Amino acid sequence: MKIRLTVNGLAYERDCAEHKTLLRFLREDLGLIGTKEGCGMGECGACTVILNGRAVNSCMVLAVEADGAAIATIEGEASGPSLSDIQKAFQRNHAVQCGFCTAGMVMSVKELLSTTPGPSVDQVKDAIEGNFCRCTGYTQIIEAVMELTGHPETKGELEHV
Amino acid sequence: MVYEFRYLAPKTAAELAATLDDVKSDGKLLAGGTDLIPNIRNGMLKPRVVVDIKKYEGAGRLAFGSDGLTMGPAVTINDLLRSKDARERYPVLCSCAHELASHQIRNRATVAGNVVNASPCSDMAPALLCLGARAVLRSATGERVVPFSQFFAGVKKTVLAQGEFLSMIVVPAESAGTSGNYLKLKRIAGHDLGIVGVLMTRQDGRIRFGVSSAAPTPVLVDTVSEKDDPDEAARKVLAAVLPISDVRGTKEYREHMIGVYARRLFTEVK
Amino acid sequence: MFDDIDASELSYVGKKADRPDMLEKLTGEAVFVSDMEMPGMLHVQLKKSPYARARIKRIDAVKAAAMPGVRAVVTGDELDYHIGLYIVDKYILAKGEVRHYGEAVAAVAAETLEQARAAAEAIRVDYEPLTPVLHHMDALKPDAPLVHPDLGTYSYIQAVFTPKPGTNIANHTKLRKGDVDKGFEESSFIVEREYSCPSVQHVPMETHVAIVQWGRGDKVSIWTSAQSPFTVRNLFCHAFGLPHINVRVQVPYVGGGFGGKAGIGVEPLCAVLSRKAGGKPVKFQASREEEFSLLPCRSALTYRIKTGVSSEGKILAQHMTMYWDSGAYADYAVNVTRASGYSASGPYEIPNAWIDAYTIYTNKPYGTAYRGFGHVEFHWAIERHMELVASAIGMDPLAFRIKNALKPGSITLTGERILPSTGNVVKCIEEAARRINYGRLTDEEKARERKTGWKIGKGVAALQKAPAMPSYTATAVVLKMNEDGSVLVNLSLTDYGQGTYASIRQIVAERLGFSIEKIKVAFENDTDRDPYDWQTVASKGLLMSGNAAILAAEDMLKNAYAVAAEVLHANPRDLGHDADRVFLKHHPDHGVAFAAMAVGYALPNGSGIGGPIIGVGRYIAQGLSNLNKETGEGNPALDWTFGAHGMIVEVNEETGEYRVLKVASIYDVGRAVNPDIVRGQAIGGMIQGLGTAICEGYIYDQQGRLLNPSFTDNKIPTAKDLPLEIECAVVETPQIDGPYGARGVGEHSMISVAPALGNAIQKATGAELMHMPMRFEDVWRAIGKKEPVDNWITKSPVGSCRSAPELRKRD
Repeated sequence: MKIRLTVNGLAYERDCAEHKTLLRFLREDLGLIGTKEGCGMGECGACTVILNGRAVNSCMVLAVEADGAAIATIEGEASGPSLSDIQKAFQRNHAVQCGFCTAGMVMSVKELLSTTPGPSVDQVKDAIEGNFCRCTGYTQIIEAVMELTGHPETKGELEHV
Repeated sequence: MVYEFRYLAPKTAAELAATLDDVKSDGKLLAGGTDLIPNIRNGMLKPRVVVDIKKYEGAGRLAFGSDGLTMGPAVTINDLLRSKDARERYPVLCSCAHELASHQIRNRATVAGNVVNASPCSDMAPALLCLGARAVLRSATGERVVPFSQFFAGVKKTVLAQGEFLSMIVVPAESAGTSGNYLKLKRIAGHDLGIVGVLMTRQDGRIRFGVSSAAPTPVLVDTVSEKDDPDEAARKVLAAVLPISDVRGTKEYREHMIGVYARRLFTEVK
Repeated sequence: MFDDIDASELSYVGKKADRPDMLEKLTGEAVFVSDMEMPGMLHVQLKKSPYARARIKRIDAVKAAAMPGVRAVVTGDELDYHIGLYIVDKYILAKGEVRHYGEAVAAVAAETLEQARAAAEAIRVDYEPLTPVLHHMDALKPDAPLVHPDLGTYSYIQAVFTPKPGTNIANHTKLRKGDVDKGFEESSFIVEREYSCPSVQHVPMETHVAIVQWGRGDKVSIWTSAQSPFTVRNLFCHAFGLPHINVRVQVPYVGGGFGGKAGIGVEPLCAVLSRKAGGKPVKFQASREEEFSLLPCRSALTYRIKTGVSSEGKILAQHMTMYWDSGAYADYAVNVTRASGYSASGPYEIPNAWIDAYTIYTNKPYGTAYRGFGHVEFHWAIERHMELVASAIGMDPLAFRIKNALKPGSITLTGERILPSTGNVVKCIEEAARRINYGRLTDEEKARERKTGWKIGKGVAALQKAPAMPSYTATAVVLKMNEDGSVLVNLSLTDYGQGTYASIRQIVAERLGFSIEKIKVAFENDTDRDPYDWQTVASKGLLMSGNAAILAAEDMLKNAYAVAAEVLHANPRDLGHDADRVFLKHHPDHGVAFAAMAVGYALPNGSGIGGPIIGVGRYIAQGLSNLNKETGEGNPALDWTFGAHGMIVEVNEETGEYRVLKVASIYDVGRAVNPDIVRGQAIGGMIQGLGTAICEGYIYDQQGRLLNPSFTDNKIPTAKDLPLEIECAVVETPQIDGPYGARGVGEHSMISVAPALGNAIQKATGAELMHMPMRFEDVWRAIGKKEPVDNWITKSPVGSCRSAPELRKRD
């Protein structure tokens, strides 16, 4: 089936197998491999992209369903050579370890900040609850978002006894 | 997803009904996809045709009228939560909705899909049961209206006939303003299916309990009265459920927790 | 490698520094094996066993092989390669018999995933189901079916392991110290209890994945999501009888490992498919469900501990028996048994000790290394036991711990003497206790109890771990100077998220005296181009590769000085350098830029001297030895990292629900090279430890089918599961042979989280929890003294905490 959609501001037109998930379409047909598959079941959030302004698990959306949609993925997050504010905050706060959940995590944060520019810690947790991270223990990710939104006091430090 | 199927997206309700009539048991309806797509991925369902219910005119309509709140089959959980009117008039519906899965899933999962799946652990079912909501079922031959108290037929089974689809959920105007609270026991604080879930609503002296993960279907209990004490209320709720032991918890613990929640809610919900 | 350098004199070590992999990971540009596509690449789907134990009567793959797009079908019958790290006991595909649910019996490689799936479904397998042996304690019974009847014929590492042919015992590790009988005789109290935990999955976010191309002339290229490229190559070559020179292993970015990718995984399977498909590259990526049941997990443990204590609260004797559930294959589980066996008492001095640690085969997915290498599991037992012993003898658990803790002069189980430089566990315990106001509730906490009705309890648990590795473990680091004087660092210790490369970069910059921006650590590892490293495991990476990096930096400077001496007509001893140039110390204006020498220096007349400047650092563990197989005596420990967690929890006594209010984690890391990375490891590991404590674990039915092979019913902690308050602090007792005094902490943060929680719950409610995880229902049952639910093998008669405490007061 022929579909037309916009990804990171670029228009694409492709013939797409009807059973293909949006995740596979992005990775296999468009070469946008930044979005990852962690479970294929909508549980882990590694495949989170923004579909018409909303964070969704792209492993549970068919590409054909996204015909006509506007999609944002991690590849569109930095503008030119410079990282976005969210990416910079993640970098400053060591909010990345293995990096496999990172794309989905950034997309969830992006949707949150688009609707709630000054979130509380609980609102951040609500927004990323569906994004598993096995490495960081989430704390430095939450600190990155809070620092970005004007609450650097949330950040903890390694203390020396 | 490695199982192949054909995808159809009817543009009108009538076309949808005709399509369902045509594909019969080879077809599966796709709403939010948050259950259907994993089930196809796992090979548990192998439909030849997937019929998207979201693309017809009005499928995503959420509206308030003299009937009350009406929701088309494409209304997502977060569409509901984002509606200020819904939060104000049907807070009970929204507190159940917020307990459902994670934010990303709530962005896709539909209210209709959550009840059509008829999982015993449906989070929306207790609210729709307690609020006296009705399902409008449509097919090529016509329409019928079924109250949710008669909608569930067993584990993952509803009264929907082949060729029929849930075209609208109606939450009656008279249940607007119903107060209540939903307590859901999970294994972790994050998103999880419920071990048990108990909703209690109170409106004009009328008390109802909706219970999930406690029987083959979500359960409505409307035998509790203002005059009961908390223990009696809990006894009546427990009499209506039939929990099992599984990997999420034992029957004994589920019964205990349903009792705890029923007593707590009976005392706290004003 | 430790120089007694004050922190104020260091430019990079101990300071904040970015991770070098951030940009790639934050933009989606980092390429993982999951993301890789090779021209002509085939995709794999598997046929897996629905039985825990069955004889394979017949496999019919004729129809599958003829299906569209199918390029290779392989079954176990046609393969005769044995694989194994320590005991060579596993086939690439099940042959003759399946030994666990989810084991692969046939594999298809086809042009598309869809074609591979269709063909795999078309394969017909006739099984004769056999009675499985599921619980490891049942597997010890004399009439238990044998998982490996041919155990006596397998090759294994004889200097270290002791399998028992004719039984299900894959290894028996012994340790005998002092006179246990005499110790118990002299004891005033004897307490004996039994603890247990189920198998657990690592859950790297990137599941196991490999691409293998078996090229002409038996030259094999492997791209794999693995922790240890050289171990993959070595075991692969052994399995196929190939010269090492024929096999090249490349590891790009890796999406987490936690021990599950420490050894060899799906590479041999891809290799046989590629060979059969005429050398096309073949990719297999495990589904999340396959990650749970096809690939290995963490072993279950039953641990029985009997402790004799003096009237003053000093432990005099301890009898310890560990029963490790290996599952169907030995893999790392035998070495988990060995490493746990020699540190089985935790950070406590036991003058008289008797340890038997068994690895037991069962018909379940097999056990492997997992962050902590057994120490998470047995510290659950030891640190709950310390709590229960203390309360049984009427002593405060904190005081009991401190009294018995390892201190300078203490002798470990294997006979090693603890030195002041070994680390300070007492300080860690005291600091953890102080940070939670141990032993009392603050006014605020009392008010909270009144308001919520939930009981608040506080607990402490200590921990220790040394790297579990061969006594002669080695690594190397190579530095190469670029034309502009910047430096490339090559090593094959991998960084799959833990952040070691950031620390290595700081160490190299520090030792060279260069600006850190000029140092790049190459992320993609390649056995054809990078120097050897044994494995990226055991929390030994920073210490060993850090030391090698220091040596490489010194070698690079020596080589640069040699060229500079010639250019400047000077004795190298009169030379000094800054970030950009080498100069005469007594005449600093007279110098030569590193950039001018980096790839060879050109004299004014055009003649060249020197050549490309490189630096090589090699490091091998110093002074370690094999353990005596009868007594356990020897020196296994590269270093000991000590630590402790303090935990505050609130518990609803009516429902068993609980919330962690605060965790304070303290580790003696020697020197925190990168404070943010230490904190990342500390919190990340602690939350992983909470997952193990709260909810994670495999649940089987009585036929041995895994009932929760997905995130639906095998939950891991989410952002909402964080404790309300988290504090991390380090004690810094420099490690004499550590780089700038540093020692490892990658695994330690996960250890003893569970017992700290169990101890806090007990303090709040009196619940005696003996089995982890501690699900709300388990807590509710323990509070109400109800029969514990044991659904780890559902409806199994084997309980999780049936042993009665034996408490006798002697006069």
